[in-house]
Amino acid sequence: MSKSKTLIKIKPNTYKNGDVVKVSFMVMHPMETGLRKDKKTGEFIPADYIKSAKFEYNGKVFTTMNIWETLSVNPVITTYMKIDGEGTLKVTFTDSKGTVEESSEDIKPKG
Amino acid sequence: MKKILHVALSVLVASSLAYGSEQFAMSDADRALYEELLENNPADMMLASGSEYLDALGGNTALAKYLGQSEDSLAPYLAGFPRYIDKYKSVVSIDQMLQAFMHDSGAKPYTLKSEEMFNMSSYVKSLANEQAINIDINANKQMLEAYALGKEVFNTRRGGRGLSCYNCHNSNVIGSVLRTQPLPDISAKGNASAATWPAYRMTKSKLATLQKRFQGCMENALLAVIPLGSKEMTALEVYFTHEAKGALIAIPGLKR
Amino acid sequence: MKRRDFLKGLSLSAVTAVVIPTVGFAADEKPKGANALAYKDALAAITGGKTPELSDKVSLKVPEIAENGAVVPVTVEVDYPMTDSDYVKAIHIFAAKNGNSRCIDAHLSPANGKAMLSTRVKLGETQEVVAVVELSNGNFLISSQSVKVTIGGCG
Repeated sequence: MSKSKTLIKIKPNTYKNGDVVKVSFMVMHPMETGLRKDKKTGEFIPADYIKSAKFEYNGKVFTTMNIWETLSVNPVITTYMKIDGEGTLKVTFTDSKGTVEESSEDIKPKG
Repeated sequence: MKKILHVALSVLVASSLAYGSEQFAMSDADRALYEELLENNPADMMLASGSEYLDALGGNTALAKYLGQSEDSLAPYLAGFPRYIDKYKSVVSIDQMLQAFMHDSGAKPYTLKSEEMFNMSSYVKSLANEQAINIDINANKQMLEAYALGKEVFNTRRGGRGLSCYNCHNSNVIGSVLRTQPLPDISAKGNASAATWPAYRMTKSKLATLQKRFQGCMENALLAVIPLGSKEMTALEVYFTHEAKGALIAIPGLKR
Repeated sequence: MKRRDFLKGLSLSAVTAVVIPTVGFAADEKPKGANALAYKDALAAITGGKTPELSDKVSLKVPEIAENGAVVPVTVEVDYPMTDSDYVKAIHIFAAKNGNSRCIDAHLSPANGKAMLSTRVKLGETQEVVAVVELSNGNFLISSQSVKVTIGGCG
């Protein structure tokens, strides 16, 4: 995996304080189980998967996840979040190689 | 990244996900579940990557200028590909046009089968989302010839099993089950392939263009694989795109 | 058994063999990943042996027939408050027959507003997908559904 690519989506994308919105987090990742064989070499492709994610909203962690290689390649994970003020949603994820990456999205409630 | 709108997408995707006989037809509940997947299509990330490649070349503005289009006419113009472009003396798909654009901009063109080109050409096609496909095979004799060639390739029996595309994709066998999958109707406007490809292929976890998908199909049917961007492959794309004329472009799609 | 009946029996079993159990490996050489954990052990690790209660407050949405085994949508919603004193603490998703039966564990809080987890998983064969919900009061709820996974298609 060369360059990490992530996407955070909020649905609906206009909301006000008190609304509960869907937060979807998507990342380009091979999610290798370690059980697949390289067709050319016959060797097992080493495991390489996202193993955890942390969701923070205005500095407070509200959801954490343990993720296994069982998830599909290019995983998409959705949960809910209650809107409580303007700020930032930050998702931090770690993969089995120890790489840690962050992705953020502005939260701007209308009223 | 330009917002990708999903007007009529669910209808197109629903019809393109599975047709079939009673036994293997997708239940309404299952169909709804798979339609939801479109809301968060991993291919959106590939298109975002593609937009970055285009930005490095000057973005939509530079592309519109290169094609002699205004910002407003760019989308409908893109919805008319493949086109015969006199400067190249060939009928070209969007990816080949982009190769010329890169070359004329002084950049080394991405190869047609590269991930960069798949991502970038898909992003460029998505600029025409919600446009009706307006390919014009009567524009000139080259387009007419390409359409005729594409139809011929579609109908030519070849390969180890003596199969043509038509054998598995004709109106008489639509819905019949082959290797547990119902054969899709690829001619009807309801399942306008040219309007829903490029698409994310779930079994490959990759973004594929229509031509790339043709190659996969040829491999499985034991037909010699035709190279991307070849006269025959571009002609096939012209044939499919004409069959989908009028359908609204809604990409990236989501397919098995 | 008469020869005719024996042959009839053979052809019947050949016709019904559409669902192929395991992808890519012969039964005896199936490799085990580092995270391999059978469902009943994974469940016990979460519940500490406590019996989860079958509950229709847990809505588990999976396809009856998976279009393909690589991307199977799974959504779990729990009809339960998310107040500071009473909320869904965690949602766990399992694929009962996968070598590593664990898919994802989401640890929630009242700030989620509603308890829901949706994702896509890999299923190696036809099996039960299970949702186990952990409540702040220490109780567990469970719901499961079978997903049929067929191998086939033109690539």
